[in-house]
Amino acid sequence: MLIKFIVLRVPDKNTSEQLIEWHSYKSTKNTGWYTIFKTIRNYSYFIQKLVQISILKEFKRSYLGLLWLFILPVVAALVWVCMNSAGIINPGKTEVPYPAYVFLSTSIWGFFIEIYKNTNNIFLSGGRMKLMVRFPYEAFIAEKAIVHLLRFTIPFVINLIVLLFFDVRFTWTIFLFPFSLFPLFILGMAIGLLVSIFRVLLEDLAIFADQAMGFLMFLTPVVYAPDLQLGFLGQLIRINPLTYLIGFSRDLLTKGSFYQPVIWAGCILFSFVFFLLTVRIFIIAEPRVIERLIK
Amino acid sequence: MTDKNPILSVKNLCKKFSRDLKYNLYYGLRDIVSDLWRSRKENIQLRKKEFWGLFNVSFDLFAGDILGVVGANGSGKTTLMRIITGIYYPDAGVVYKSANKKITAIFVLGVGLRPLFTGKENIYIEAAMYGMTKKEVENKMDFIVEFSELQGQLDRPLGNYSSGMRARLAYAVALSTEPDIFIVDEALAVGDAIFQAKCFEHLKKYVQQPGKAVLFVSNHIRKVLKVANRVLVMDDGQIIHESTDVKGALSFYINNCLKHLDEDQRQLKLKKINDYNL
Repeated sequence: MLIKFIVLRVPDKNTSEQLIEWHSYKSTKNTGWYTIFKTIRNYSYFIQKLVQISILKEFKRSYLGLLWLFILPVVAALVWVCMNSAGIINPGKTEVPYPAYVFLSTSIWGFFIEIYKNTNNIFLSGGRMKLMVRFPYEAFIAEKAIVHLLRFTIPFVINLIVLLFFDVRFTWTIFLFPFSLFPLFILGMAIGLLVSIFRVLLEDLAIFADQAMGFLMFLTPVVYAPDLQLGFLGQLIRINPLTYLIGFSRDLLTKGSFYQPVIWAGCILFSFVFFLLTVRIFIIAEPRVIERLIK
Repeated sequence: MTDKNPILSVKNLCKKFSRDLKYNLYYGLRDIVSDLWRSRKENIQLRKKEFWGLFNVSFDLFAGDILGVVGANGSGKTTLMRIITGIYYPDAGVVYKSANKKITAIFVLGVGLRPLFTGKENIYIEAAMYGMTKKEVENKMDFIVEFSELQGQLDRPLGNYSSGMRARLAYAVALSTEPDIFIVDEALAVGDAIFQAKCFEHLKKYVQQPGKAVLFVSNHIRKVLKVANRVLVMDDGQIIHESTDVKGALSFYINNCLKHLDEDQRQLKLKKINDYNL
């Protein structure tokens, strides 16, 4: 059934106030990077509010309030130290003390996986608000990113102190450490944004992605050393970009050296291109996802 | 009808929806894939399990109008408002508006309000949601407090507010954005009678300012009768009646809702409706 009933009636020209096309079937969002940054700047107060809400709301009911942001990572670190001194964690043959190795690797892994967890749910979190007001979704992405960075700063600083306790001696390369996390950050976010589309439209794939991300931890040298001989799995570990992205950041701290710098640069390039591509896809797909959103 | 030129003009708007959840999601995915390759095109072919949520809807909104939009539940009123606001994209048709006119829509109330935060914090959150800056909110704070009549309550957590109080807060914030085109979609349903009366009074004054208009969506026939100067009747995604004779249009609407009944039953129903509503 194809009815060509549309005879577009353009508004009269002799109007004192010119009508402009505001919204139509061919409306597309401007996906240019300049526009994205401009939107984020225009909505900076909204983003600031969102960040405030998501950090404050978690501890709104508690008496200690934001103090929990310090207490929780300290407790986590203490548990680790206790387990270590009780000898539960069996030291293997790593150049740095094994507990320090695992401790650092898991927090870098956490940094990567948390930004994925924060972004993969971006359409469904926040209730019906998103169906009621016209928002730029860039604002929500910016909020997730800022909250993530804020929330990870405290545990990372505490973890660095614990590492000193584990006899790790830092060199000047520690100053490169925060920057070395950037590719992990955009890679995690890109995967999260892609999955957020599937979370609404193709949930099977989103569930699969969640599982795969959990499994990925075992394909990345986080709880074991990268040179472990594992045969077939070893191949997978070698082609896994996270091996290099996490390994590089870790070695900056524990050894003060660069882990596989050439492959690492390649992985950065990959993350970057993947990120740019995903953000484009996300912004084009966003209106289509919203109209299919049932809440 | 003070001005002959529309400030908002909706032309041939169409929107498809899917009856079936799985098809709904599948079409969404297909649309995304096609959007990635080429720009959006007018798409007026129904696919399997689809129906028109809105079909060929056209109307003009003039400055000074309070345009009542009535229709049975599910007749496409909110969908139309969402397209005008820019949340949904139409499948065909265009929304024109005068340049520099601002649209603020307030749908079911309490959206975006955070129960654990105080009333005052929520004012900032809501206002930020509408794109206001901190300075703008602070300038408008007196107006919001005064209009919502919540003095003394603003330090309480919002979760403790009654739904009517939330309605006041949300409505006052939406109003403080000073929209040129103000869309009120069932937003006043929970406020108490005194507050509603005040809002209607305010709306009538509001549209007397130059270049302002209101789209008032409601099922409450009596309210529409009191505020609107023009009425659109929607049924099944189409505008079936448009008139400046508000009373006539409303009785047309009720009769249309009852059109499937025979004469005796209709009279009986009409009597009931009159008893309870008009």
